Amino acid sequence: MLGFAIFIVIPLLTSLVISFFDWPLFGTPEFVGLENYRYMLTGDPAFWVSLRNTIIFAVFYTAVNLVVALGLSYWLMNLGGRWASFFRVLFFIPVVTPMIGNALIFRLMLNDDGVINQMLAAIGIEGPQWLNTPGWAMLSLVMMSLWQGMGYNIIVLGAGIAGINSSVLEASKIDGAGPIVRFFRVVFPMLSPTIFFCTIMTVIGAFKVFTQPYALTEGGPGNATNTIVLHLYRNGFSFDRLGLASALAWVLFVLVMLITAVQFSQQKRWVTYDS
Amino acid sequence: MNASTPRRFRPSRRAVLAGLGAIAPLGMLAACGGSSSSAADANSTLYTWISNENDRAQWQAFIDAAKEADPDFELELEGPSFEDYWTKVKTRMSSSDAPALLTTQAARAQELDALLAPLDELAESAGVDLADYNEAMIGGMTVDGTVRAIPYDAEPMVLYYNKKLFTDGGLELPGTTYTMDQFLDNAKSLTSGDSYGLGISAGLVHLGMSIGFANGGTPVTDGALTLTDPKIIEGLQFSFDLVTEHKVAAAPAAVDSEPAAQQALLNGNVAMYLDGPWMYQYFLDGLGEDLGVAIVPSESGEAKGLIQGSGFGIASNAKDKEGAFKQIMAITTPEVIGAVANTRGTFPSIESQEGEWAEGKAEDNVAAVTALARNGEPLITTPTWNEVGSQFAQSATDGFHGNRSAEEILSEIQAAIG
Repeated sequence: MLGFAIFIVIPLLTSLVISFFDWPLFGTPEFVGLENYRYMLTGDPAFWVSLRNTIIFAVFYTAVNLVVALGLSYWLMNLGGRWASFFRVLFFIPVVTPMIGNALIFRLMLNDDGVINQMLAAIGIEGPQWLNTPGWAMLSLVMMSLWQGMGYNIIVLGAGIAGINSSVLEASKIDGAGPIVRFFRVVFPMLSPTIFFCTIMTVIGAFKVFTQPYALTEGGPGNATNTIVLHLYRNGFSFDRLGLASALAWVLFVLVMLITAVQFSQQKRWVTYDS
Repeated sequence: MNASTPRRFRPSRRAVLAGLGAIAPLGMLAACGGSSSSAADANSTLYTWISNENDRAQWQAFIDAAKEADPDFELELEGPSFEDYWTKVKTRMSSSDAPALLTTQAARAQELDALLAPLDELAESAGVDLADYNEAMIGGMTVDGTVRAIPYDAEPMVLYYNKKLFTDGGLELPGTTYTMDQFLDNAKSLTSGDSYGLGISAGLVHLGMSIGFANGGTPVTDGALTLTDPKIIEGLQFSFDLVTEHKVAAAPAAVDSEPAAQQALLNGNVAMYLDGPWMYQYFLDGLGEDLGVAIVPSESGEAKGLIQGSGFGIASNAKDKEGAFKQIMAITTPEVIGAVANTRGTFPSIESQEGEWAEGKAEDNVAAVTALARNGEPLITTPTWNEVGSQFAQSATDGFHGNRSAEEILSEIQAAIG
């Protein structure tokens, strides 16, 4: 409890207090009331754009991540044996590698004359400006994030699938259920608590996206890949506005709390805890 | 037990262990936090950027030169990379054991206003005449009417070029005069296949800004942002057009475009590249006698330098400012600045030491740098300059890909920040 207070509650409350001040990194803070929130919501040209970008990223990243990770987990379950173990390790390796290093390598690959465009050129295709046009830049962020983060969900979902009672699967086979019916009618419902957990964690992680835009695009072109946390970081540590950064952090905190609360409130509709 | 009898609190063994477990890490954290240092310790530490061994060698050159005059002189170096410096210096200087000495660029002096103590009275008390230092740099280091750092260099942006590529192409070497038309003609002549006439960085204070400055524009007037100054817009648009219209340069990458362009100059993949004199030794090591230096091209062809440079200042919360100033003076004497200019290639902030810098360098290269330094003005910025640079970095690729004009980008930044 003491640790929770020191490392969670006190920093949270301190951040809330700071959000009511014009608080430079060096110098004397000045109380400004709700001015930081007012400026953020009505005067900051980058706030709504970065919020929109964050939501777009979170929706695409979470949806593709869960669908692909679930598909691969199911495939690995059916594959079984050493190859399944090999692929699990392979998919998990990006998770344990430093994201900043991965981002730098992706940057080299996605430059206008990078490896990917050179490969496309070799087969007669003119590659796009991956990092220099808004749509492709956002897609690049999502692709890199999927490569980096999907292994975690593959492992968790794989563990969930392994926990399904094999006699239930056998029974469904005997009843004549094919792989697709078996997946949607048996595996998915029994796996739904694990999927629910993965959804919650993936959405929270997606809203905190920072390293990918920071290292790949610096939030550009324009503000096309600027995200809330990147905007927060810049305001706090580059532009000397800790108060505004704290206000941004609180808005993000409340937003993620609300989305998580909605997810919990809706879980009765599709999550089954019967084993 | 009687209800009125007070219960004596006897913590269980588990509670005691849990409490100790919670307190022990706090104790360790407190120990890691370090104790407040003495003023003497603070005065013997310089907080500066140390991105690589080249940076460390430069700072060490100041210390070594100061030791020539005073063998007991001591100064420790501390600091992050250049990119991280401008963020971390503010938090580092807020701590109780902060160094008393720090480095700043003239272009960042406005931004670090609160961190830097005024030096005028300290200089007067110590009998130091600030007029001995480059006037433009002293102007750049002046915030709210007071000088905040003693400059050790005064470095105009210059145009580096590969002499061999010019002579092989039958072109006249540029020097102390260079018009934009000549520059464009040369860049076109030197572009073929994968080789470009020019390497470009996406940074704000680079080719476009330097050309705009050389043509009489200024991004800041009387302390206010004037990014929409027509000359600045024209200069930046010219740099965009070099890529999109004239195709004499490759579009720079969105992030960290500078190292790639520098490498392209060294590899002979580009013939020209704009940078500061602080890169002279690095380029000389790579190109040898083929390294040429010209002025920044301008409409008139005359030299007008955008001077950047750095200096040493004292933290505004330093306990012993007189002691700290003595340390600064030890590393900014003419002899020390001359010695560093000689060994590390920084263009000195004291005119009498320019000979030290010029020693061993090609005469035409020296003439170009000197012309820009003598006819230069400092880049004076605003406290929001970091934000300006950040927003420009986000939008520069739009300009270099022809998606937006310089006017649109600069007007947007001006409206958002100005």
